[in-house]
Amino acid sequence: MKASLSSTLIWAVIVGMAALNFAMRFQPIAVVSRVNLPAPIARWLSFVPISVMGALVASEVLLPNQEWSNPLVGPHLYAAIVTALVFRFTRSFLGASLAGMASFVLFQHALRAIGQ
Amino acid sequence: MPPATGSSPDHQRPEDPAAAIALMGSAPARFRRGLRLGFPIFLGYLPVGIAFGILAGQIGFSVTQTVICSATALAGAGQFIALQFLGDGSGVLGVLIATTVVNLRYVLFASTISTYLRNLRTPTQAALAFSLTDETFAINIADHRQGLATPASMAGVGAVSWLGWVLGTFIGAVGAGRIGNPSLFGVDFAMPAMFTALFIALAQDWRHVVIGVISGALVLGLASLPALGIHLSTSWFLLIASMVGAGIGAAVWREG
Repeated sequence: MKASLSSTLIWAVIVGMAALNFAMRFQPIAVVSRVNLPAPIARWLSFVPISVMGALVASEVLLPNQEWSNPLVGPHLYAAIVTALVFRFTRSFLGASLAGMASFVLFQHALRAIGQ
Repeated sequence: MPPATGSSPDHQRPEDPAAAIALMGSAPARFRRGLRLGFPIFLGYLPVGIAFGILAGQIGFSVTQTVICSATALAGAGQFIALQFLGDGSGVLGVLIATTVVNLRYVLFASTISTYLRNLRTPTQAALAFSLTDETFAINIADHRQGLATPASMAGVGAVSWLGWVLGTFIGAVGAGRIGNPSLFGVDFAMPAMFTALFIALAQDWRHVVIGVISGALVLGLASLPALGIHLSTSWFLLIASMVGAGIGAAVWREG
């Protein structure tokens, strides 16, 4: 990759991305918050957050670098378990995130030390 | 953005004292509570923003362009895919299609959270929409389900998240080449840790756990299909798995 892109192209991309991302975020709010949703749709939406998180955790923890690798020989799964336990008992996002990051580094070193 | 006053009509009066305090405080107090609530997002965005700042500079963005891009798009994965497409020689249209596909899940998030944003003035809705990301969505939904979130607290979550993303981008753009390896501090796991904690926070009962696990399994199943393309793969997996997983939940449990 070289620094050969024109400034005009970059600005066009910046403006377009700002507009599109805002439209995707705002349009549903502007529309949906003014109508009464049918019950099945509302029920479906109520399951969206947990589905998204399940999908995100699976992709981040079990597909690091976007591909499957045995989770038992990498630090991700172990650090995720530590994170989950810390959050379960403290209900602190900050505490759980920091514990997860620290344990991730520790597991990385430990796994390297035992030759994985 | 001025913190909105008045609490959402959807709130049920919570039982415990901490919750009551969260709702009774003034709008600035609720905004500050949002800043604290969103601080882990700030920490998570900082290193990813730094990475974006470095990469953008490498393909020819000026510091100003890099920072304005992050400040106006606030679109993590969508911004990275844009860099990749630009680097590969794609034109404006190709880049914009790629970033839209990657961030199509915002439509889903916005539809979901809109049920909590009824009766707000349009500018307030617009401001909260602007700060909608995977992480602010999850934090605010978890907060809403405890009956604690207000427009002011959501604005606080959005503001501190935006700051982390923009500040990280600035540090990366200005300091490219002078920054040590941030991986040494475990920042690679900042986002996965955040998502893991949010998963626990959002799992209200066993039905949610089942649906979350099904969605995760769907991602793994989709990822094992070699026929799918490379550039858009993970984002498509996330979108499809989320929609199908939630659909299964809605079809199986009709009372909730």
